[in-house]
This record gives sequence, structure tokens and C-alpha cells, in this order.
Amino acid sequence: MPAYYLEIAVVVLGLVLLLVEAFTPPQHKRRIGWAALAGIAATFLLLLTVKSHCGCDSPMWQFYDDSSLSLFFKGLALLCTAFVLMLGLEYLPVLEKYSARAGGGPATGEFFALPVLICAGLMWMASAIDITTIFLSLELTTIGFYIMVAYMRRNVGSLEAGVKYLILGALSTGILVYGLSWLFGATGQTGLDAIRTALPSAARGPALFAFALILIALCFKIAAVPFHFWVPDVYQGAPTPVTAFLSVGSKAAGFLVAIRLMEPFLAVESLRTTCIAILVAVACATLILGNLAAIPQGNFKRLLAYSSISHAGFLLLALASDRHTGELTSTRIIAFYLSAYLCMTLLAFAVLIIINKSTGSDELKAFDGLHRRNPFLGFATLIAAASLAGVPLTAGFLGKFFVFIAAAGAQQWLAIGIAVAGAAAGFYYYFKVIRHVYWNTAPEGAAAIPVSPVAKSLLIILIAATLVLGVYPQLILGLL
Amino acid sequence: MTTLNDYLIASGLLFSIGLFGVMFRRNIIVIFMCLEMMLNAANLSLVAFSRFNTSAGLPDYNGQMLVFFIITVAAAEVAVGLAIIIAMFRSRRTVDVDEISSMKG
Repeated sequence: MPAYYLEIAVVVLGLVLLLVEAFTPPQHKRRIGWAALAGIAATFLLLLTVKSHCGCDSPMWQFYDDSSLSLFFKGLALLCTAFVLMLGLEYLPVLEKYSARAGGGPATGEFFALPVLICAGLMWMASAIDITTIFLSLELTTIGFYIMVAYMRRNVGSLEAGVKYLILGALSTGILVYGLSWLFGATGQTGLDAIRTALPSAARGPALFAFALILIALCFKIAAVPFHFWVPDVYQGAPTPVTAFLSVGSKAAGFLVAIRLMEPFLAVESLRTTCIAILVAVACATLILGNLAAIPQGNFKRLLAYSSISHAGFLLLALASDRHTGELTSTRIIAFYLSAYLCMTLLAFAVLIIINKSTGSDELKAFDGLHRRNPFLGFATLIAAASLAGVPLTAGFLGKFFVFIAAAGAQQWLAIGIAVAGAAAGFYYYFKVIRHVYWNTAPEGAAAIPVSPVAKSLLIILIAATLVLGVYPQLILGLL
Repeated sequence: MTTLNDYLIASGLLFSIGLFGVMFRRNIIVIFMCLEMMLNAANLSLVAFSRFNTSAGLPDYNGQMLVFFIITVAAAEVAVGLAIIIAMFRSRRTVDVDEISSMKG
């Protein structure tokens, strides 16, 4: 089966869900979520049967790539969407409160159809190798996210986050398109393969101008420094499942697009040094800002936002190391780091949603004495925080370790120094969370926090994945 | 005769006006118009690049195809964007970005 059937299947699933949703009575909207989950799971099974290029000769392959790397990122997008749908089912009571229609009754059906359409965009992003498809798939996800972020329209925070995301997202689109037009002007090509062959003979000025504009615009997608200022506000205001989707799905697909678009520039001898210097500078600034700003945070969602920025710094450092030989190439390191990041970040957001549902708060104070109120949730928080900080035997540690190996190979000593300092600062603010869970005592009269069976199975899967990837990284590296 | 440089200067000007408008204007609707101007600056330079990059006397149509996609996407973006701005206006009675800042830190 050719790989592009997968996106078609996902789009059809999304449209059918939208149609069915219109005829579903309000009390049964939960079923839309389950149907979406089942459809995404079925597509994931189909993904396992896909073979590269399937022997068919088609003009499609000029702008659509189905290498094992693309298939891997399609898998990440599907898994992430499935987890987000489960988180959405868990989050439904909060959502119903803030999305009421004017005439009464909740409007929550689209909340499960839109992630499916965004997932199709993420999957196209994983396969896009032409600037036209890159632009279109990026916009499909971004416009979907505009709606998702502002979904709770009776909640001022969500609307405010939606407006901020809209303005900055549209700004990054404008910059990206302008950069792409200069890339097209400098090389006369739209396909990335053709751009790679045409770029060495292109004029240096326009090429570097295009590189800078494209990098700035992609920094919006991956939450890195010149375009990071939307992250904390949007993460805090958006519905929590959407925040999780933004921080994992959007970042993963954005990084693959960044790898693809940066690669032709890094391959040209005369541009290489300048481009790597710019990438390293962006990575260092991201690491410093993300980690320093995270230290004083008292809101768990904002803490995760700054943590997302600092992880983007590590990933950019791996990209800037530009390593193509041996077992650990830059691309493989980024793929592994993103898989680890998916497990631990979704774990943290799952805990947050469960706690928010029973306490109504996102603050770190709501975690006080969690290990007495629900020992299992306390343990899940411990694993998530330890892995995000990079404690050995967790997936987060190996991700950071691989980045350091690559950066040392590229002799980026200054950047390594900053990254080590950033990781050390990370230990401080992630362990603050653990302190709240295990050392602080719960407030008087705090009730035990219930965990539904769905949420419990989700937490068990994510904890297991975080620990297994921490001792057996070949599981991911072997796929590429 | 008009050269490629003239078109690029015009598109650069449009892009700069748009960028400065986004940074310094406070009305969301005006900011949104400036964003559209940035997209059109890119469209202008794409068409100019494709028109001046001829092969066998014909322009390079790949660039112009991208322009059509950009126009379509911009329309979709405006539809969603204005809906969000209207929802915002209904709950806050303002379109001033300075007043939309309840979250800090």
C-alpha cells in the first residue's frame, strides 16, 4: 500500500466524524471521541503495513517522501493524536463547562474531529519535500490549532491565548512564505532535491536571507528563541489536551521540516559555517532563556511551557551538530529525543489534567502531598519530572546524552557548557515539582484524587515507555 | 522597462510596512490587515521571480502555482482569524492588544 493512502484515510475519518457529530445528541458526544480514537488506532496499524515506494512510478514522489524517516514521524503524529484524544475524553467535564452554546448545551463534538484533521497535516508535514507541500501542510496544522487553542469560548484565558496564537502564527506564516519566495528566487526550484543541486551555484546573499527568514519562521513551530514569547501564554490559556498536542505534535513535525529545509544549506561549503553559527547561537539563546525563565514559575503549565522551550534548545543543538556518520546521526538523535519527549511530556500533561479535574487548579500548590492523596499519581509525576530533568535510566537522560555526544563530535564546547548549565538548572525546577508531591503536606481536608480506568491505562503505558526507552534506545534507533 | 529589482523593492517595502504594522499598531483588525499585506508581498516576489526565470520563453509556473495556494490559505486564515477576533470582542468589548494581557510571568 502506498503511504499517501494514510493521509487520505485520516482526512476522510475527520470529515466523517464532523458529519456524524452534527447528528449526535449532546449527551453522546463522548462517542465521537471514541470513534476518532478507534480510527486513529486503525490507521496506525495500517502504517505498519506500508512499504516504501511500493514499486509504483508516480509524479507524486517529486513532492512526497515515504522513506523510513517520514514513516517514523507519521507514527509519532498518529500516536500523539491518539494520546491527545484520550486526554480530551478525560478533560471533557472542564471543556463542557466553557464551550456552552448560546442556547445552552455543550458543543464538544468538534473537539475530537479537529485533532484528526490536524493529524493529517502533521503526517503530510512528515512527508513534504517540496516547498509547496511544506507550506500547505504547515498551514493545515496551524489553522487547525488556531481553532483548538481558542476552543473554550466561554473562558477568557482560552480566547486570549487563541488571539495571541493567531497573530503570531500568521506572522510566522508571512515570514516563512517570504523566505520561501527568496529560496525559490535564489534557486529557481520548488522541490528540495532540485534545490539541493541548485543551491551551490546560487548567489550567497539571497540564499542566506532565505535561510534566516525560514529559520525564524520555523522557530515559531518548534518554540525556539526569536519566536518563543507566545509559548507560555498560549500553553497556559489553551485547553490542556491542546497544549499537550501543541508541545509534542507540532514540535515533532516542525523539527522534521526544519531538518529537511536546513539540510541543503548545510551541504553547501560556502554557506555551511555561517548557517551552523546561526543555528548554534539560536540553540544557546533558547537554552539560556528557557531554563532561566522556568526557575521562578509556580504554575505547572507555565513550567512545562518553559521546559518545552529548553528542550527545543537541546534539539536545535543536535541539528546544529550536523553529524552524518556512525550510529548516531543528528536525524536519529532528534528522532529519539522527540520520542522520549513525547512520552514524558504527555505523562506530565496527563497528571495535570487529572489533578485539574478534581482540584480545578494548575498551580504547583495543587500537587502538595499528592503521594498521600493518590500514590500512583505521585509516582507518575516522579517519573515525568525525573525524565524531563534527565535522571539516568529514563528516556530523557539518554536523549540529552546523545545530544552531548553529537555536540562534542562537532566541537561546540561553548554550547555544551551552556547546555550543561541548562540541564543543571532543569534539575532544580523539576525537582521542585517532586518536592511538592513528596515533601509538602496536603492542605487540611484535601480529598483523595480519583483516577479513571482509561486514565490509569494511559499513565501505565507512558510510564512504561519512558522507562523502557531509557534502558533500551535501540527500540527507536533501529526503526530508522 | 521594469526589472526584477523594481518588483523586489516593491515587495520588500510591502513586507516591511506589514511587519512594522504588526509590531507597532494596537488594533487587532489593523494588525490582521498588515499580516495579509506580508503574504501579498511574498506573492508579488514569487510572481516576479517566476516571470523573470524563463525557460524556453515560458515563465517557471511552479512559483505561480504556490501563489494560488497562498491566496487560498490566506482566505482560510482570515475566516478562522476573524471568527476568533469576534469571539474575543464579544467577551471583552475591545480590539486593543494592550488590553488583552491577563496572563503574565
